[in-house]
Order: sequence, then structure tokens, then C-alpha cells
Amino acid sequence: MSFSPWVRTMKARALVRLWSIFGEPLWIVVSMGFPVLSSLALSLLYYSIGATSYVGFAVLGGVMVSFWGNVLWSMASQFYWDKQEGLFEIYLTSPAPISAILIGMSVGGIIGTVPSALIVTGIGWVLFHPAVNAAWGGVILTFGLTLASLYAMGMTLSSLYLAYGREAESLNEVLQEPVSMLSGLYFPSIGSRSPFPLAIQAAASLIPLTIGMDALRKTLFYGNDIGQVWPDLAILAVMAVVLLFLSTYTLKYLENVGRRDGTIAVRIR
Amino acid sequence: MTSLRPILASAWMGIQHDIAWTTPALSVALRVVAPFASAMTVSIIYWFGTTNSSSVAFNPERLAYILIGSTLYAHIASYAWVPTVAIAEGKNLSVFPHIYLTSRSTAFYVAGRVLSSFVISTITSVAALILAYLALGSFLGTQIPATVTLLSAAMVAAALVANIPGALGLGFLLGAYSLYASKFEWSLPGYVAGLLMVFSGALFPTSILPWPISVVAQYLPFTQFIAAAREALLPGSSGDYVTSMGLCLLGGVAILVVSLLVYFASERKARKDGVIDRRLA
Repeated sequence: MSFSPWVRTMKARALVRLWSIFGEPLWIVVSMGFPVLSSLALSLLYYSIGATSYVGFAVLGGVMVSFWGNVLWSMASQFYWDKQEGLFEIYLTSPAPISAILIGMSVGGIIGTVPSALIVTGIGWVLFHPAVNAAWGGVILTFGLTLASLYAMGMTLSSLYLAYGREAESLNEVLQEPVSMLSGLYFPSIGSRSPFPLAIQAAASLIPLTIGMDALRKTLFYGNDIGQVWPDLAILAVMAVVLLFLSTYTLKYLENVGRRDGTIAVRIR
Repeated sequence: MTSLRPILASAWMGIQHDIAWTTPALSVALRVVAPFASAMTVSIIYWFGTTNSSSVAFNPERLAYILIGSTLYAHIASYAWVPTVAIAEGKNLSVFPHIYLTSRSTAFYVAGRVLSSFVISTITSVAALILAYLALGSFLGTQIPATVTLLSAAMVAAALVANIPGALGLGFLLGAYSLYASKFEWSLPGYVAGLLMVFSGALFPTSILPWPISVVAQYLPFTQFIAAAREALLPGSSGDYVTSMGLCLLGGVAILVVSLLVYFASERKARKDGVIDRRLA
């Protein structure tokens, strides 16, 4: 059975990522450190103040921070690192479609992050028994769309990061915590229970993770079904499609700029 | 004096490395963002948990407790892992082989980098604390209690200095690992930050942890450092500043001595095994 070059490219890029993770099981231990410990600390914070009914928020936040960390460090910065290693110019000179490489990176990243997310869930479940009132159909659909839009954002960032040199890592460090806060990984950052003024909530809503976290909490802890969260799902779907097209466009644009300026093969600047 | 020169030279290099990649003011401003956001996140969790639960009441003093703790654990985490990055990045960019070829131990280079990072992190942590204090007061519409006088500022400054041996010791331990590792050392900052969040009493009293973990956590120099800073800044704090400072210094020096022995042994072995200048060990 022969697949199109697009599918073969996507599969090949995903497999590289999966081999790098599952070929070295220690990676799973390594990558779960921050999500597990921060989720544990914030669960204990909810527990220590007597707000035990919200411990589940911290566990869910720990699961999603695994994916957010993966998007930031293994999607957004990836082309910058590929450029340093001399891989990026090979991508460009080969007939492999760049969109397939991006999707392959995402698929590999999502599958590779699942063990870390499962471990966070397991530890949170065993230690705190968070109260769950789930509409599972809604949870699964919301989770899928959140990841789709989040990784589409990662693809867009990976294109933009090509424009930067060594600043890329500093940018990641600047983005990681504020996005975690604004997107409400551990508490509702939009809606009536948000502490933020309306303008900040509006800005936060431009981040796919914000909409996704809000919908995930509604479906997982408050039993809202698909019919009740459809506006969130529709926004997530639109974000995923728009960001996907935007990433392809920006990548093409930056590729042309790089070719014109002769910086596309410059590894460190 | 001859020992001081390499430390100062490394510290200056560290400052260049950490803030000279762009304009220094912008670099420092960007470094404030992460601790500010982190302090805001945990403070808002407290506000959200208490204002949406019928069984608990919002207490501004507890909010101040969490705000100070979260800023200070981020401060420790941001400079304790510098040896790791100094060695790992140094190997990757071929800087470290030049350091190890010199007649001095690489420990001088590592100590200098930690000290420069301590200075930068102190500035950014204090800025993050002030910004978070103002932002939380505005967003949550509450007055967060804090004693800010010349004396309390001096007491916090003394606590920050007293914490250096402990953080330097932690850094040397992580650095000893980095001399050998070449793949997983990048994840250490996450572990350090996460462990400090759980075990340093930054967000909640260590007494809620199960025994004997609670006892170990209580006497960590980092826990005592945060406690001392709280005793200086929180009005009506129940702890004893002098005891906290004493325990912080004592524990810190003990960790530093042990970690230096581990680092020197690791360095000797790494030279012998020929991994000290390898990008992939």
C-alpha cells in the first residue's frame, strides 16, 4: 500500500519524535518532572487552604501543562534547533512538504506526551481523589480540539521563531509562565469567577489553551455536555484551522526572507 | 585574592551571558515576567479557592504568606540550577573545555556564574514581588499586609545572603551530575523548581506533608530562608527570625561542604574518564 509523499513525510517525522522518546524511556521520567511536581504542589495548596473540591483543577492543570511545555519546547523552538543542527536546510531542499513535517512533529509530540499526562493523572487520582462529574463525550471532544488548536499555535510559533536566533530560548522562558497564568491552567481565568478585568480576559481568550481549559473544566467537573459547550468547541475548531493556515503562510514567508537575505543556513546568530 | 579573581571574572561573564544578549534593561524586564506570573498564579489560586468555598474564608495575611513564598522559591530555583546550564551549555558551545584546561578547578567558574545569577535574580525577584503585590491588590481589591521599613528590607537582604551557601551547594550537586550528563540536564530546572514548590514551605506549611518528609522539609535551609523573609516582612509573624537565619546558614554550609566534596570528586573522575569536554557523554 503506497501513501502520498505528504503522509509518508508526516509519518516519518512523527516516528523520529516517538523513537526519541520511547527509545529512551528515561525521557518520560525526565519530561514528567515539572508537570508532576507543580501539579502536586498546587493540589496541596488547594488542599491546605481547605478548598478540596478544586484539587481536580490543579491535577487537570498538571496534565495540560505537559502538553503546553511540549508545544513550547518541542514545537515552537524545534525549527530553531533544527537550523542549528543543519537539518532545516535539508527540509527545505527536499521535496517533503513542510506542513507534513509540522503535523508529524505535532502527532509525535502529542503521543510522546501522553505517558507524562497519564502519570500526572494517576498520581493526582491516587493522592487526592478529585471529585469528577464528567460528560465523557464532551471531555474527549474538547480535549482533542484543545490539543489540535494548541499544537497549531505551536506550528505558528515555530515559524516565527525562525526569525530569531539565540533569543528563542529567552522568548520561551518569557512565554511559559504568563501563558500558564492567563490561560487559567489551574483556576478559571475567563468568565464570572475570573480575577482579571474584562480586557485581560479578552486578550487571554486569544490563546487556544484558555478556551480549552475553560471547556475542559465545564465538561470534566460540572457535567456540561457537548450541547452546552459547543460555542467553546466551535472557537477551538476555528482557531485550529486559522492557526494551521497561518503557520504555513508565515513559514513560507520567512523561508523567502531567509533565502533572499542568505540567513537560512546560518546556524548561530 | 588569587581565588577571588577567577570567581569575579566568571561572575562578570555570567552577567554578560545572562543579560547582554539584548539591551540590559529589556533583558532584566523580561526576566521579571516569569516570577511575576508564577507569583500571580499561586496567589490567584488561593483567592479563587477561598472565595469559592463556603467552608473557608479569605485571609489577606495568608495571601501575603503565599506571595512572598512563591517569589522566593522562584528566586532560589532560578540561580541554583545555573551550574547545570553553565556546564551543559559550555560543553555544547565548546566553552567549558577552555575552562577545564586552566590550572584552577572548574568550581571557581561555577561559583562565579552562580553569584552573578544571584545578583540578577535578586533584582528580578524583588521587582516581581513588588509588581505582583500591586497587581493583586488591584485585581482582587484587597490590601495585602506587609511591613516595609529599612529594617525589614535589611533583614530580607541578610536572609537572601544567608541562603547563598545552600543554593550554591545545590548548584554544585547538580553541576556534578552535569559533568557526566549530556541529554537530561535540561530538565533539571523543572525538577528543582517543582521540588522547591513542594518541600520548601513556599506555598503551604511543611507540616501538611506526611511524616518524616515534613520534618526533613522543615529543616531545609531553603525552608528556613523563606521563613526568615516572611518573619521580616509579615506583620505579627509568629516565627523567630534569628533561629530561622541560624538554621538556614547552618544547613546551607553543611550542604555546601558536602556538595563541594561531591563536585571535586566528580570533576576528578570526569577528567580521568575523559568526559569533561565531550558534548555527548
